[in-house]
Amino acid sequence: MALLDVNGLQIFYGDLQAVFDMNFTVADGEAVALVGANGAGKSTFLKALVGLNEERRGAVHFDGIDISQMPAEQVSRLGLIMVPEGRLLFDSLTIEENLLMGSVNRRKGSWTLRRVFDLFPILEERRRMFPGQLSGGQQQMAAIGRALMSNPRLLLCDEISLGLAPVVVEQIYRSFADIRREGTAVVLVEQDVKRALATSERIYCLLKGRVSLTGPAQGLQPEQLTHAYFGN
Amino acid sequence: MTLMPTRTILLACAIVLVAIIAGAPFVLNEGILRLATECLLLLTMAQMWNLLAGYAGLVSLGHQVFIAFGAYALFLTSGWLEVTPIWVLPVAPLVAAAVAAIIAFPLFRLRDAYFSIAMWVFAEIIGAFTMKSQAVGGTSGVPLATSKLIDFDWFEPTMFWLAGGLTLVTIAALYKMMTSSFGLGLMSVRDNDLAAMSVGVDVRHNRFIAFVLSAAGCGLAGALSFMGNLFIAPLAAFDVNWSVYMMFIVIIGGIGTLEGPILGVIIFFGLRELMTGPLGLSGGWYLVGLGIIAVVVMIVAPRGIWPALRDRLGVRLLDVHRAAPRPAAATILPGASERVTG
Amino acid sequence: MIWVETLINGALLGGLYGLLGIGLALVFGVMRVVNIAHGEFMVLSAFCAVLLSNLFPQVSPLLMLIPVIALSFAVGWLYQAAIVNRVVTSPDPLSPLLLTFGVSVILRNVMVEIFGADVRSLQVGELSRASLEIAGLNIGIMPLLTLVLAALLFMALQLVLRHTEFGRIVRATADRRDIVRLSGVKPDRVYNYVMGLSLALGAIGGVLLAVRSGFTPFSGAERLLIAFEVVVLGGLGSFWGALLGGIALGMAQLIGLKIDPNAGLLYAHLLFFIMLLIRPSGLVSSRV
Repeated sequence: MALLDVNGLQIFYGDLQAVFDMNFTVADGEAVALVGANGAGKSTFLKALVGLNEERRGAVHFDGIDISQMPAEQVSRLGLIMVPEGRLLFDSLTIEENLLMGSVNRRKGSWTLRRVFDLFPILEERRRMFPGQLSGGQQQMAAIGRALMSNPRLLLCDEISLGLAPVVVEQIYRSFADIRREGTAVVLVEQDVKRALATSERIYCLLKGRVSLTGPAQGLQPEQLTHAYFGN
Repeated sequence: MTLMPTRTILLACAIVLVAIIAGAPFVLNEGILRLATECLLLLTMAQMWNLLAGYAGLVSLGHQVFIAFGAYALFLTSGWLEVTPIWVLPVAPLVAAAVAAIIAFPLFRLRDAYFSIAMWVFAEIIGAFTMKSQAVGGTSGVPLATSKLIDFDWFEPTMFWLAGGLTLVTIAALYKMMTSSFGLGLMSVRDNDLAAMSVGVDVRHNRFIAFVLSAAGCGLAGALSFMGNLFIAPLAAFDVNWSVYMMFIVIIGGIGTLEGPILGVIIFFGLRELMTGPLGLSGGWYLVGLGIIAVVVMIVAPRGIWPALRDRLGVRLLDVHRAAPRPAAATILPGASERVTG
Repeated sequence: MIWVETLINGALLGGLYGLLGIGLALVFGVMRVVNIAHGEFMVLSAFCAVLLSNLFPQVSPLLMLIPVIALSFAVGWLYQAAIVNRVVTSPDPLSPLLLTFGVSVILRNVMVEIFGADVRSLQVGELSRASLEIAGLNIGIMPLLTLVLAALLFMALQLVLRHTEFGRIVRATADRRDIVRLSGVKPDRVYNYVMGLSLALGAIGGVLLAVRSGFTPFSGAERLLIAFEVVVLGGLGSFWGALLGGIALGMAQLIGLKIDPNAGLLYAHLLFFIMLLIRPSGLVSSRV
């Protein structure tokens, strides 16, 4: 049984439908890449999974529990955790306090403040600073750290490389090895397809709100992907 | 069924209303006539408050200050010049408008609740000064010095005609204004400052005009209201309940519509006559009842009763709403859920 | 010398005014709502204290603060859960303003009908007349205690908001209402606690003000305006600014009363209005 099992999900964005008839699974400990052009519905999909977008229809099961209509604060307690697009740290909280917000949902696990600081040592140095005083990459690390503090079973990462220097992206992606060692499954939403493929076992490609391609991440034909990505 | 008002229908309605107002004093007894006058004046005030809150997005909790300015201006000028108050009526809106134009400069720096409460503080300050100033009668107020010039045989009918005329002119002018480019600009300000600015609507300018007009209308209606009493005192003139009444009438009836305040006034007076008449309750309980209705309306139908009715019945009277109602997500959903596969 | 005394008494009164403002500032800081009914809730808590001290005349009225605070917290929690939360996320910023204004009208008139419009006050006996003589200055014990209590409460609130998990959650919710949900926090529940806290703080101010001077069901508007002026003068969201703003208003009021015994709040209002013209951003500008 898959950890996350999405079956026939429809998502609406105001008066428009953003995602059609989506089927999507993630196994325990698996890394899955979700790629697609701007506006394909990737972010909307992630938000709907964690309960931030309330206009949805269809079946969503996490660890066998029906979460299709569950509010975000309850989804969080099950260990389905999102790193939102654009970091979205709490501006009036210090970095350490931002990280501690991750542990508010009281999930047991091996992630602690200590371990997050070991993973991203720069955050320990800047623990007393406010998000506005940090670089984009450091903010991204804090956002990932905040999610880890919730001891996720499935981590949903929304565009974590967006607007960051390649060196920083490299560093952040290297941390995924550590994160996955805990058995945490990961969904990576990425514009950077190459990066996503290299880090994942399976891939889903979204095109205009529909899955246009799915399969193993390795051994994918470039033209197959281009077709699924851009359509024609 | 949509009933679209054409020019002829509106004109016919206007003629009928003018005829009703002209004839009413010959049919109604004095008590009912007084009540009708009060109704019409409060309707005008509510329309003015609505012009500011419903169209320009500025909630004033200190609009009583304009009522007071208009009324005091009338009483004092009429006394100085020793002419019948009716002839100096134009002074009332002019003074109120001038005050509004001056205080707009500091107040327009504030947004939302800050504007609302700063208006209230302004009204309190002017009220306190009025009570201290013996020149305007201090706390005990002043009677209308020229009341001896009034022909009391025709006083109530005249008051009624003035109030009725003012109401009709106000509604007609608002209708004309809201269907003009100024009105459209104003409504786009209410909906979205930035968007309106980006398409070249001068937000501050439009708000300023709405504010000054709203003050002028309240000044005139306030002057008429106190003229009917032949007496004015600061506690009554600067009573925050003026703002309460205007707000409740607009909120209950329908904010940002011309018909809403009309419905609101009917509910306002209907409830008052019912609660303080047959039910024998005090004015306090009446305000409690009105407040509960307003709070419930705000929670259940935030745009007010009239817009909710209009959407349900599909009736349009003086509709100044520009955009067609957007299809609700619910209308898409049934079709969408059929597409869910197992 | 008499002016120095007036200034000191004004500063002491200012502590109390700071307390009136801080509850309003808290709610505004966290949910961007100006609770117009704040003043009426303060008056309501004063009525509760008067009722309780009539029921238990042998107990000091100041001890009545404890049940009144608890009651106010519960009332605030329910008020938020039942009413304010329904409009707090409204796209129209005017909705919460109009709604809380409606509630204030209801509360005021219910109090008029139940308690009557007579002036009431809370008698604390000897304590209200006791005073200290320092360097020839006559300073009331009660105002002094009030200022100390206000300062302690400000510190306690600061401490709670800065250094506890509850405080972190409140600040995070104020920053990003949606994102705290990802951490398992239900924003509406946070709001309930914050409104409870706000009305509990308001109750302390309301009861202490009722010891100082008489009140009627109509005093709520006056209290709201002071609270609002304190918040704006102090710079939005700044707690110590609120205390400073309160002190400025308290001094303005007492100096005004020295010049003109019938001035009431006129000079406090004037100070506020003038400050609004000169410095719309408040005396102190800083973060929560």
